[in-house]
Amino acid sequence: MTSTTAGQLGGASRGKGSSVLLKLGYALLYIVLIVVAALQLFPLVWLLFFSLKSNQEVFNLPPLSLPTNPRWENYGKVWSAGNIDTYFLNSVWITVVATALTVVLGSLVTYAITRMKWKGSSLVLGLFMVAMMIPVHSTLIPLFSMFNKAGLIDHPLSLILTYVAFNMPITIMILLGFYYALPREVEEAAIIDGCSVNRMFFQIVLPMTGSVIATTSIINMIYNWNEFIFVNTFISSDSFKTLTVGVQNFIGQYTTDWGAIGATLMISILPILVAFLFLSDRIVEGMAAGSVKG
Amino acid sequence: MFKKKWSITLMTTLCLAMVAAGCGNNGNNGANNEGSANGGAAESDSKKVTVNFMHLWPEGVSAGQNKIVNQIINDYQAEHTNVTIKQEVLDNEQYKNKLKVLSASNQLPDVGVTWAAGFLQPYVEGNLFTPVDDVLGGELNGKFVAGTTEAYAVDGKTYALPLEFNIAPIYYNKAIFEKYNLEVPQTYDQFKQVVKTLSDNGVAPIALGNKDRWTGSLWYMYMADRFAGQETLSKAIKGEASFTDENLMKAATEVQSLVDGNAFVKGFNGLSNEEAKSEFTNEKAAMYLMGTWELPNWTTNADIPQEFRDKVGFFKFPTVEGGKGDINSWVGGPGVGLFVAENSKVKAEAKAFVEYFVTKWGEQSVTGAGVIPATKVDTSALELPQLYIDLFNEMNQASSITLFADVQMPANAAETHLNMIQSLFGKAVTPEKFAQEHDAAVAK
Amino acid sequence: MDKVMSNKKMIALYVLPSLLLIMAVVYIPIVLTGYYGLNEWNGIGAMKFVGLDNYSALIQDDNFWSSAGHSLLLAVFSALSLILYLIVAMVLSARLKGSNLFRKIYLIPMLLSSVAIAQLWLKIYHPTNGIMNSFLESIGVANPPAWLAEPSLVLFALFIPILWQYAGFYILIYYAALKNIPTSLEEAAKIDGANAFQIAYKIKLPLAMEVIKVTIVLAVVGSLKYFDLIYVMTDGGPNGASEVMASYMYHQAFRAYDFGYGSAVGFFLLVICLIATWIIRKMTVTKDTIQYS
Repeated sequence: MTSTTAGQLGGASRGKGSSVLLKLGYALLYIVLIVVAALQLFPLVWLLFFSLKSNQEVFNLPPLSLPTNPRWENYGKVWSAGNIDTYFLNSVWITVVATALTVVLGSLVTYAITRMKWKGSSLVLGLFMVAMMIPVHSTLIPLFSMFNKAGLIDHPLSLILTYVAFNMPITIMILLGFYYALPREVEEAAIIDGCSVNRMFFQIVLPMTGSVIATTSIINMIYNWNEFIFVNTFISSDSFKTLTVGVQNFIGQYTTDWGAIGATLMISILPILVAFLFLSDRIVEGMAAGSVKG
Repeated sequence: MFKKKWSITLMTTLCLAMVAAGCGNNGNNGANNEGSANGGAAESDSKKVTVNFMHLWPEGVSAGQNKIVNQIINDYQAEHTNVTIKQEVLDNEQYKNKLKVLSASNQLPDVGVTWAAGFLQPYVEGNLFTPVDDVLGGELNGKFVAGTTEAYAVDGKTYALPLEFNIAPIYYNKAIFEKYNLEVPQTYDQFKQVVKTLSDNGVAPIALGNKDRWTGSLWYMYMADRFAGQETLSKAIKGEASFTDENLMKAATEVQSLVDGNAFVKGFNGLSNEEAKSEFTNEKAAMYLMGTWELPNWTTNADIPQEFRDKVGFFKFPTVEGGKGDINSWVGGPGVGLFVAENSKVKAEAKAFVEYFVTKWGEQSVTGAGVIPATKVDTSALELPQLYIDLFNEMNQASSITLFADVQMPANAAETHLNMIQSLFGKAVTPEKFAQEHDAAVAK
Repeated sequence: MDKVMSNKKMIALYVLPSLLLIMAVVYIPIVLTGYYGLNEWNGIGAMKFVGLDNYSALIQDDNFWSSAGHSLLLAVFSALSLILYLIVAMVLSARLKGSNLFRKIYLIPMLLSSVAIAQLWLKIYHPTNGIMNSFLESIGVANPPAWLAEPSLVLFALFIPILWQYAGFYILIYYAALKNIPTSLEEAAKIDGANAFQIAYKIKLPLAMEVIKVTIVLAVVGSLKYFDLIYVMTDGGPNGASEVMASYMYHQAFRAYDFGYGSAVGFFLLVICLIATWIIRKMTVTKDTIQYS
């Protein structure tokens, strides 16, 4: 994004009189954009301050005030509370594996549904769509007894299978909108060249959908990273629990240590923030890569 | 490079996982039921056993409790080298949910935490908890405070051993009372005068977080006790008398007139107990009706400023002139207790552990975590803050202790009760409707 | 072409693993939920088959219908808020200086877990020292309302954080969809003298239509089964004024130990989602034919 391209938004066909108006419009637009950006950054700043407060200060001080004695020890408390490193690693690998599986499998299904010709494709699509309509709490008891019988309770596979299955429908739905818009010409040419379905999918279609893959990856990643109901229900050993459980360490029978919870949330948001910033750029790159080949 | 081979490997792995899950599902309870058929009470001492123990005292916030739990477990394992105690810790809310899911599949931990009466009943009826009368009749005989184990009894058998015992006084801020020349109220009329003075001076009289609903229930319970007497209230809760009793109705009406008199903090129906408590600790509200589990916060908790802790006093819920209640009648009761699962494979070891745990907990919980245990405590032998000693004395003098309504009632009725409490405080129902809904729910 | 693209083996290889997974992990619970709904069951003891009793009780349950009403209202608001998200995405996707940075900042809130978002908004709405009421008092509003304690306001007070929570999600999808539109089309339109609004309305909007349709379904279904923030912030209160279908299901099943009835609520929720999706599909298909005819 360079400054020369900034002006292109308004089009070239305007006279001099409206250019003042145009500049005013831009100024206004930027003011709005900056104000909104400040509002969107506010939660992060708030969370940082929140994590440095004691329970007294959390409730007594205005949300955006820094406590007089920032309690950095909240972070120490969180870190020393045991197992957080295990939880952290579990969060990372379970999130990565589940996200990758969901996006790859979801892409395969979407490809088959939108591009291949077969009876029952709309029925299958319907089946996937219905699967996102069940409230999570209805599924806990049946899923627990199922995994229990399969011997998968207290096993990370129960989490991965659940995450993939529950995020698959929404992933497919999002992919769907993009796949419909993909030009068919490239594929047609490839088939004439004798390209197989697999090669076409992995070498032509997947790269073309880079931006939506980045999008769905971000969404899946956030969902999996923040999930805690299934973790609590299926996992009982500390060695398989994830970071979201760390928050619970500070919710007591009668009192809650809010500052420590803030610190846990702050620690757990950092890796996903980094991953997000990285993937977020891939949205644009993916688009560029796609348009070169398209 | 994504090649065909790669994608096929991926597919196969996933299919296998599927098949594993699918097969197991049809495989009719395969492996995990073995051993659960016979309780395995006669295991030899040398055999290695693991006792699963699920509780709700995480290390982070319930540091005192957690330390005691770990110490008890370590000591126990040292004394019984063949036993390993495996802990699982969840927070309160998640704990309750998980217990529910586990019981639906009959997979409860060997030892776990339960609440009394209405909470425990379905588990007993579903044959999931095992009676612990043998433990109760053993070394622990006579060690519990009178009336505590009864709350865990169904049809004459006891199904859990209590760890906590609480009553609920009204805590107040002595400095605020002094500032406005207020005396501790003895009668309800005096209490209303206190409320009025505070409210007129722009101080919120009472901190109440009624989003959690059981908090408001405490107020109603006391009101009902003081107007209608402990007996009538107890009967109504059990379904033996109607909530439309004249005096019970008066209690409900009086709750609403307190609301009209701005007795409670602004927006109380949208505040959690946690938020309400902070209004009290930040000295924005003068009174707070809550269980004795808050005592550490008013005595030893270093996170709360010493000057505030010194200002906290308590008084008993005042009596109503012409009411049938007695000032020494309390709302409270045992909190959590330990159960042993009926289909535990290591029942004998689990029971032995529970017995050990309850005994040690009784010795250490007051000094170590500020928890008042359900076992008798020799206060003269301990160095305790004055507030503890005063409340221990009150407990000994109590004429009756009515168990929290939401604990006492079966879950279904408790849910109606709690919803009605919020509506009563929010003036969305009349006292008549409040009474009728209760009668209908209790009768179910 | 057709021959390659209708290779049954390949289709099975692409679709079956996912389908089997969904069947096992999602459909078995759905079927079981439907079945539990036909029983009287506290989730612990034995089940007692009662046929459609739970469903006939549900039909007459005022509390359920009011929670369904709240969910529908949320669905309508979510669907409408898509317009706003789309506008933001259009602005961000325009070749504007710094749009890359703005995009990243705008999406940050979606990274927060519901626990954090709930705490933040509880602090905003706190009746006495919340940001909202402090602000209102500073501009001279006497006695501003206790947002989460007022039955007539609570639902709308909750909608704002919910809509804000999902803003990032939809803006992200729209942004990707708009960026996917070949720049050549835009360039061509510009040469023809189209202004920014014309390009947005006549080119970008139709090309992003498939994605927009999908997001309408996602927003509506997501709202109908919404649970998170409501559970933490008000727990359905006060007096049930913010109870939605999913929280009602949870309260019945996990609090009142009425798992049979709770399952009936869950199953009914699924049926309502299905009907809503069907209606949306019908509506969007009609719209489509008008646009392209």
